Amino acid sequence: MFIDPITGNFYGYIPFGDIVFYLTDFSVIAFLVALFFTLVVYLTKPEKQLEAQINDFDKFNIVSLKELKIRRLMAIICGISTAFAMLTGDLFDYALFLAVIGISNIGIVSAVKKEWVLNAAYQYGIIAMISSLPLFGAAGLILAKTGTLSILELSKTAHDIFYQKIIYAVGMVGETGIAPFYAAKAEMFKAPGAPYILMIHLSSLLIIIRTAEILLSIH
Amino acid sequence: MRKLSRIWNYMSKPEVVPRLFAGFLCLVLFIEFFAPTSYNTHQLYPKDVPQAQVFKTPLAPYDRGGIPLKKAADIKTQYPQFEPIRGKITAYLTPISIWISEKTPYFGTSIVSTPGGILDEILYYTRGFDTVLESTTLLISFIIFSWIYLNRDEVE
Repeated sequence: MFIDPITGNFYGYIPFGDIVFYLTDFSVIAFLVALFFTLVVYLTKPEKQLEAQINDFDKFNIVSLKELKIRRLMAIICGISTAFAMLTGDLFDYALFLAVIGISNIGIVSAVKKEWVLNAAYQYGIIAMISSLPLFGAAGLILAKTGTLSILELSKTAHDIFYQKIIYAVGMVGETGIAPFYAAKAEMFKAPGAPYILMIHLSSLLIIIRTAEILLSIH
Repeated sequence: MRKLSRIWNYMSKPEVVPRLFAGFLCLVLFIEFFAPTSYNTHQLYPKDVPQAQVFKTPLAPYDRGGIPLKKAADIKTQYPQFEPIRGKITAYLTPISIWISEKTPYFGTSIVSTPGGILDEILYYTRGFDTVLESTTLLISFIIFSWIYLNRDEVE
């Protein structure tokens, strides 16, 4: 098969019109991992963070029920969209999944009533907004240059889309906030509420692997 | 060495990160501007030449032909085997849209043409999942905004 060397065995399609989800060894495993951790997030209670204070008693950071509900909802949306981003076989659709993940990442921390967390989330939101330009722009440039957006079609024959792929990768870098633009995200991780915060981390890890797979498949 | 650690310290501030990213993006797009590129004429989602349909049909940029449920419009798709009924409803107009399209030649560019006016099948059938995700992004941002707004008085 045409995508054989990277993704392993090809099992079949899930068609949604032109947007075709495809099942390979790689995508099925990543899909199941993302769904499993979404289930973990749904079932577990949030951590109680103990904060050490100088010249004072240590204090508990407890996530209230109201805050828990919105953050759990956002973490589940993030997990499900990560899971389906693993399956999608369309460049533009993948970019939209990245946008959903980016905004739900902001949602996970937006309910925390701490100034520095909200500040970091705001800055991260600005990066996510800026990076939608290279992400969707690169998808548009690839469509203009090759006439199709389907990853299966793009992987069949060779196209000269090296520069477009670079912009696509830069868009992914901004949307998932990977190093060295990680500082805003690292501040967000320090917020209390372990399983929800870790969903941000898991989603960006899976997205980075999946983007590498897409960029190696299309050529 | 001290200079390097000063750079790392500068980068660790969240408010600096968008600036750095924007600068990096400018650099990449500047290089990209000079990269060789070309236009493939065999497009999957073809579009008429700008202004080609104006004053010839009231649905101006979106007229794809066809009769609803009888004659399929001319719509190209990547996987025709997955879309057996493509082009069948793209020409459908609601009674109000028919009335407006008789009155004005600019119907296709007006706001009425979008919700329940011209059913653009590229949006709602061949690439329907994109539309679902677009509106999901919008809904999630509204959820976040309204939660922050409704709970703005709660302070620890």
